[in-house]
Amino acid sequence: MYKYIWLVPLLPLIGAAINGLLGRKFRFSEQLIGGIAVGSVALAFLISVAAVYSYGFSGHPHWPNAYLTSQDGFSFNWIPGGAVSVNQGSAARRDMDLEKQIAEREASMTPEERAEHKPQAYMTVDPPRYALLNIEWSYQLDPLSAVFMLIVTGVGLCIFIFATGYMHGETGFYRFFAYMGLFMFAMLVLVMGSNFLMMFVGWEGVGLCSYLLIGYYFDRQEAANASRKAFITNRIGDFGFALAIFGIIATFGSAQYTEVFNQAKSYPIELLGHWGVLSWISLGLFIGACGKSAQLPLHVWLPDAMAGPTPVSALIHAATMVTAGLYMVTRTNVIFQHSQTMLLVVALIGMATAIFAAIIGITQNDIKKVLAYSTVSQLGFMFMAAGVGAFVISIFHVMTHAFFKALMFLGAGSVIHGMHHEQDMRRMGGLKKYMPYTYWTFFAGWLAICGIIPFSGFWSKDEILWNAASTTQIPLGWLVWLVGTIAATCTAFYMTRLMAMTFWGKERFLEHPAGGEADEAHASAYDKGAAPHDAAAWSAGDRPRHEPGEHVGPVHEDVAHHVATHGHGAGHHGAHLPHESPRSMWVPLVVLAVLATIGGLIGIGPAFESVTGSKHPGGNLNISNWLAPIVWNPVTREFNVPHDASHGAEAAPAAEHAAPAPAPSEGGHGEFVATPYGDTGFNLAHAVDNVTHKHSLTEWTFILISLLVAGIGMVLGWLFYRKSPRLPDIWAQRLRPLYAASYNKFWVDEFYGWAITRRVMDAARGVFAFDSRIVDGIVNGLATVSRGFSLVVGAVDKYFVDGIVNTIAAFIKRLMSPLLRAAQTGFTQNYALVMVLGLMVAVALFFAGDIARALKQMLGAAM
Amino acid sequence: MLNFFIPILAFLFQQEGQGRFTRTWEAAAHPDLSKFLVIGALLFIIGVAGVLTRRNIIVIFMSIELILNAANLNFIAFSRYLQETGNVNAVAGQIFAVFVIVVAAAEAAIGLGIVIALYRNKETIWVDEIDLLKW
Repeated sequence: MYKYIWLVPLLPLIGAAINGLLGRKFRFSEQLIGGIAVGSVALAFLISVAAVYSYGFSGHPHWPNAYLTSQDGFSFNWIPGGAVSVNQGSAARRDMDLEKQIAEREASMTPEERAEHKPQAYMTVDPPRYALLNIEWSYQLDPLSAVFMLIVTGVGLCIFIFATGYMHGETGFYRFFAYMGLFMFAMLVLVMGSNFLMMFVGWEGVGLCSYLLIGYYFDRQEAANASRKAFITNRIGDFGFALAIFGIIATFGSAQYTEVFNQAKSYPIELLGHWGVLSWISLGLFIGACGKSAQLPLHVWLPDAMAGPTPVSALIHAATMVTAGLYMVTRTNVIFQHSQTMLLVVALIGMATAIFAAIIGITQNDIKKVLAYSTVSQLGFMFMAAGVGAFVISIFHVMTHAFFKALMFLGAGSVIHGMHHEQDMRRMGGLKKYMPYTYWTFFAGWLAICGIIPFSGFWSKDEILWNAASTTQIPLGWLVWLVGTIAATCTAFYMTRLMAMTFWGKERFLEHPAGGEADEAHASAYDKGAAPHDAAAWSAGDRPRHEPGEHVGPVHEDVAHHVATHGHGAGHHGAHLPHESPRSMWVPLVVLAVLATIGGLIGIGPAFESVTGSKHPGGNLNISNWLAPIVWNPVTREFNVPHDASHGAEAAPAAEHAAPAPAPSEGGHGEFVATPYGDTGFNLAHAVDNVTHKHSLTEWTFILISLLVAGIGMVLGWLFYRKSPRLPDIWAQRLRPLYAASYNKFWVDEFYGWAITRRVMDAARGVFAFDSRIVDGIVNGLATVSRGFSLVVGAVDKYFVDGIVNTIAAFIKRLMSPLLRAAQTGFTQNYALVMVLGLMVAVALFFAGDIARALKQMLGAAM
Repeated sequence: MLNFFIPILAFLFQQEGQGRFTRTWEAAAHPDLSKFLVIGALLFIIGVAGVLTRRNIIVIFMSIELILNAANLNFIAFSRYLQETGNVNAVAGQIFAVFVIVVAAAEAAIGLGIVIALYRNKETIWVDEIDLLKW
């Protein structure tokens, strides 16, 4: 089945094409549109499952090497390039070699010789190297793309099904599913492409679809602005990514993953502060990842992206597209691991993002905004894992996060749907009673994200923190662990707050009518006690089917009475009671809840060796074993050899005999081996080891800490928002500056607005002024000058040239006219005579030769 | 069609001497081209002279008819001559002559119409009193 993976991206594209091109023209019904979209994704999912099974679990010959569809001819030569010069990489390597050579020679010299030593004498210049660059369009199946294929199509399928219920009644139903299908195609090209340019195509494609879907309600100013903001912010990242691709092609002469990584393996590792070619490439790649995965300082677009429909937020802005940055970083982990500097940067940026977004998430009142900042924070966790060298764990967290965050977004969508487009949590509460399915599935997601054993989030988050504490690849691992732990506490806190405000406690929507106008402007109107419906023009959030300024009914003070007198559905949005969502919406929730509950079991960590009997139990089903072949091991300087699944769970890594030590990314269990990264300073796990004298005890200590902080966060949340609801206000007063900063998102948007947007606008105005004054002035001035010149030329022509011509003409006329006038008698016969004479002359000329001959004969005869 | 008339012509143009009918037949069957051409040229010259010298516009018309008929005669003559040599579609000249006659008739009709209009305006048909071409 693996031969047919090229169908996986193609099917959603075909579905999107049918829906997008024909859906409006032929007025497809919602059933047909939904059927086409869901069907194409479901088929793609089935093919993915079958392909991954046949590739990884059936003794496939390609395993664990990448299978490219070009091996079976399912590819085409996309960009037939030419020769490219690839001097960059060789020059970098040559410099390294030369430095070593010079040092070696000088070591054996006397000081006098050393003074006279001229290394330039034997420094040679490499001849230029060229490579033939041909970019083919072929899909790649390897452990990493397999994971992403399953996430994208599987979670995507759930979200598609959910969307058929959620988007019911939308006028742009066909458009929505066309965009979604196109997104699936682009995302699958991104994760399945076999070279960097295909990844870039997918990268831009998902960016485009993100733009289109955020701006789905394009008639609302807020959504249009958000979509543009997302697009422009992503451009900054794409710029870095593009530069990195240029760098890769210039260095390695190829864009094919296999070729590039094969070459990159042999490059020297660039330690902290050494900016070699691979550091620059990974910097560019990481800028791209920052843009796409909403890391500081390019995170601003993701919260605003919540203006799109909720399924979009779940699919694009939680489960798949925003993890593209992680995919890219993990895919290029060879390059990243060659640059200690960039690993540190990745870890620190991830750490900062995690805590930053978690703090903001605590004070937001829009349910989708909370989830958006939670997503940013979790992405920070993933980058943290990548930065400390635990790429497998970062992908593991991508997966568990896709489960529980998609679940929570869809749950939030269900809540918004049930509350009639109300997103402000201050108007919710007590929904447990009204929406049982949504509540219990959300409950599972809540436990997962908080990190409660055995829910999926626990396994990945704990592994991240453990790897941060025990990393030997970068310094400051302890700081990353500390901040990550605090961020995890915040996560548990704000998620409990969300649960409490939404599902528990008083039914606040009975006091303040909810629905219809959920947005920030609405919220501020609510704060001031003003009527909220004036704010429609700037409304944010998921609020379809209201025109700006549309009157959506009076604010009923006594909703219960209103409902009692008019019945459910009477009047307007303000008078509805919440209701459970249709089955098409809660079935995906249940599926995702199951995944969020048990999905983490595929990544049980080495700390549970005493329980499971193996460090990585489950053979290929364990994500550590599954992803090992794509992670480069800096100690052995090779890609990790996979654990042999046929030997069962106890099988030691086959590489262990040949290699001196396991990878630092998953290693450090027990012995801290020498890595090529040198001394990285204080190591927290090592320090704890020295205290406990037993490595498994250390691991359990960290697990207990992570469980403890999750519990603390949850208990605090429960205390604040369930037990004594006055506490939040009290603490908001006590921590006034922090609260204000968090509530206002640290004023990042304001800062960007002041520092960048206004400068750009000023510059644009300046350029416009330059254009309208200077450039137009030059053009208009030239026009004036040439007009004046033409006046002069015209005068000369009129009076001088014409004068000469007229004078001559008049002279000729005076001279000739009597003669010609005399010839024109006006009598027909005169003209006829002239004609006859002319005819005679013509005939005479025609026969001139004959006449001359005849005359000659006559004369000759006469003489 | 001309062949139908040949015996009649032969009978009409009998010549003296031995076997004269035969020779007349021969002469009629193979007429001498130059005689027709000379007659055509004479007609043409008479016509041209008439056009150039006569004052009455009607007579000028008649002279023009003479010129046209001279041309017709040439057509017929050459047609007949080439029919004899047998290498050309010899009916063309005769058909052309018919065309010329038709055109001449049309021309005469229009010309007379013009003359009448002219007479109504100028009260004369003497061409030396009509110098409208001057303007």
